[in-house]
Amino acid sequence: MATRSGPYDEMLVDGEPRSTHRALAATLDELGPEGLAERARQRDSYLDRHGITFTLGERERPLPMDLVPRIITPSEWSDVEAGVIQRLHALEMFLADVYGDMEVLNDQIIPRSLVTSSTHFHRQAWGLKPSNNVRIHVSGIDLIRDEQGVFRVLEDNLRNPSGVSYVLENRRTLAHVLPEVFAKHRVRPITEYPERLLEALRASANESVNDPNVVVLTPGVHNSAHYEHAFLARYMGVELVEGRDLYCREGRVWMRTTSGPRVVDVIYRRIDDDFLDPVHLNADSVLGVPGLINVARAGNVGIANAIGNGVADDKAVYPYVPALIRYYLGEEPILPNVDTYDLSDPEQREHVIANIESMVVKPADGSGGYGLVMGPTATEKEILGAIKAVKEDPRGWIAQPVVRFSTYPTIVDDGSISPRHVDLRPFAVNDGKNVYVLPGGLSRVALPEGSLVVNSSQGGGSKDTWVLEDSMTIERPIPLEVPRAVTIDMDVPERLDAPSAHDDRMLQQERQQQQGGMSC
Amino acid sequence: MLSRIAESFFWLGRYIERAEATTRILGEHYQLIVEDQSISEPMACAVLLDALSLPHIGVEDGLLLVRSVVGESGLPATITGAVGAGRDNARAVRDSLSTDTFEALNAAHLFLSRGLTHSSSPGVGLHRILERLLVVNGVIDWTMPRDEAYYFMKLGRNIERIDMMGRLLAMRHEQLWPNSGPVAVLRAAGALSAFLRKSGPFQGADVRKFLVLDETFPRSMRMCAADAELAVRALESLGVGDGGMLLREVGMLRSSLEYTTSDDPVEINRLIADARQAAIRASNQANKAFFRQHGTIVWSH
Repeated sequence: MATRSGPYDEMLVDGEPRSTHRALAATLDELGPEGLAERARQRDSYLDRHGITFTLGERERPLPMDLVPRIITPSEWSDVEAGVIQRLHALEMFLADVYGDMEVLNDQIIPRSLVTSSTHFHRQAWGLKPSNNVRIHVSGIDLIRDEQGVFRVLEDNLRNPSGVSYVLENRRTLAHVLPEVFAKHRVRPITEYPERLLEALRASANESVNDPNVVVLTPGVHNSAHYEHAFLARYMGVELVEGRDLYCREGRVWMRTTSGPRVVDVIYRRIDDDFLDPVHLNADSVLGVPGLINVARAGNVGIANAIGNGVADDKAVYPYVPALIRYYLGEEPILPNVDTYDLSDPEQREHVIANIESMVVKPADGSGGYGLVMGPTATEKEILGAIKAVKEDPRGWIAQPVVRFSTYPTIVDDGSISPRHVDLRPFAVNDGKNVYVLPGGLSRVALPEGSLVVNSSQGGGSKDTWVLEDSMTIERPIPLEVPRAVTIDMDVPERLDAPSAHDDRMLQQERQQQQGGMSC
Repeated sequence: MLSRIAESFFWLGRYIERAEATTRILGEHYQLIVEDQSISEPMACAVLLDALSLPHIGVEDGLLLVRSVVGESGLPATITGAVGAGRDNARAVRDSLSTDTFEALNAAHLFLSRGLTHSSSPGVGLHRILERLLVVNGVIDWTMPRDEAYYFMKLGRNIERIDMMGRLLAMRHEQLWPNSGPVAVLRAAGALSAFLRKSGPFQGADVRKFLVLDETFPRSMRMCAADAELAVRALESLGVGDGGMLLREVGMLRSSLEYTTSDDPVEINRLIADARQAAIRASNQANKAFFRQHGTIVWSH
């Protein structure tokens, strides 16, 4: 075990920037606190103007974006990418298995009761086979870097991971208000995400459909991620619909349009399983489409992500994912997990309760950082509450030793730059043939000093995240002559301009007029 | 209406349009240079300067590019120059302009004459310019009576729009920046949402086709030609005509774009080149027929 040396600083070693970060550090120094403060103001007005917001409670607010970008080197990234793809393959196989033959349970790789007691294990989805065998069209695997700088998986998000719109907007915002930082780096572009997503969605339609009609299904404008739903619909050029715009009839999903009903072939739904279909799931739901699951079962609509994926990102299943990787792929996990205690095991439960000040306790089916208890910073009352909850419902909770994950220099309230904890959510899109991992992803920053909670719902911020191209920095000699190869065939006709309205003589005489001038 | 006044309105329309389009194109081009460094910076600068008919001696990075395209008064191919030239024409017809129009244009002119502040990034400054120009166009549209003056302004605006769209497309962003180019072109034309609603994801050829032939997007060459034709017809109905010469010019352009039977890239490129030449001919014809008629007696001493 390593010594508890403190968190890993991604930019600095002994107060000096790593070689990969020198250019960035120098640029930040040149700008200085005043320059950065001015840019911060411009960033805020840009975010406000563009309405790049998330909704918290009743209020829309901009997602705070730090001006210091996070750099990930090509070699670091290739591990992350390979690890994410590997994990997804195993999780896809696990879901196919759980909603099919259940061999993984018969082989006792994972306790049957753990799966069947998951709140996200939907029997309604059993035997429902997606046409291209993809259930996790979009995923966000949350990673942290431990004290040694090793990337570890913190949790899987396989239902409705959100945040990708902020990844794309952060890049654009940073390039708009702080172009200087881009000058000495080659950053891998991320613009193709919406295209990749659309391809994956189209691929999940019934094979017999030539030109699938894809829609994005949102709960509505009051949802915290509505901005993202609209963003994705816009960039994919597809309709953004609400449940009330759709209905099922004759084994098809239809949308109501001004020119009559139109068939919907694929639904990228951003509403939770429970609300998706009042016929089969939560009967009180007014956000879903009654009969949707019947249409899906008939194979006439693709639903992304699939219903019931939550069983694979249940935090109680998480400790078993490395075993699933070995079981399905016969490989060792590329990205290790964080140590996790199984609270349904009496011995482990006792250990956790005894050492709860150094643990983080999370609800097994939670997301968004709601309900978690941070041992080191929790109040007496919170700790007692957590112990009580764990004893009452051991299956409902997991515990992990608090990992003081890595930090990255961040501009804080007083304008100075100081380290703040960051995580990373790489987004991956599976079209059934390939998994595309968006280079970078969402880096979330815990803004209060020392805080380890990065969730935007808990007031976390974000950073533009750069994966550098293989050639690290650009050597760009200034050519004396611009190569004209590309511009040579540019056929630019003449510019027409207004003929001069005055010749010099007119101008002179106009100005000479004494009468009526101001000089008399 | 006096020929001189008509001419000023025509050029007012052209210059405001030129300033706005140039600002948009520069903003997106600059952002592209920042975000996607796959093209050498001097090269990326030269491409834009060529397209705008500006000299590119010594312009080797994005910042210098912004500086030279924002430019200075007296160079009507630059933003500052175009706004200045627009303002000169507005001054000549100040009595027939709404005060709001002149104020908005003057505000844009003053903003530019102060230069871009150094404490902000170019993108931020360009956006502020663009906002002011949008106000100018908005005020013109809401306050100008639909009379002769208006239609000359509208004719000028649409002729310039065709020309600027041609310049934007001449740069071939989608070839230079296969990844991010098509989106940048659409943004520069203010067409991103319109395009996406219609077509979904990007393919270079489709973007060009959309910006040339689309029948719903107000800045497509086809719609600009149709708008120019409407302006000429409106002038004719007001008794301002040249025996159909100008109408023939814009009408032929509109119909060639409307009734083209092929949409392969080669044909699209031919249409772009033809449209730009037609815009020049139309401008010259308007000049000959209405502004600087033959037979005008000029006193030369």
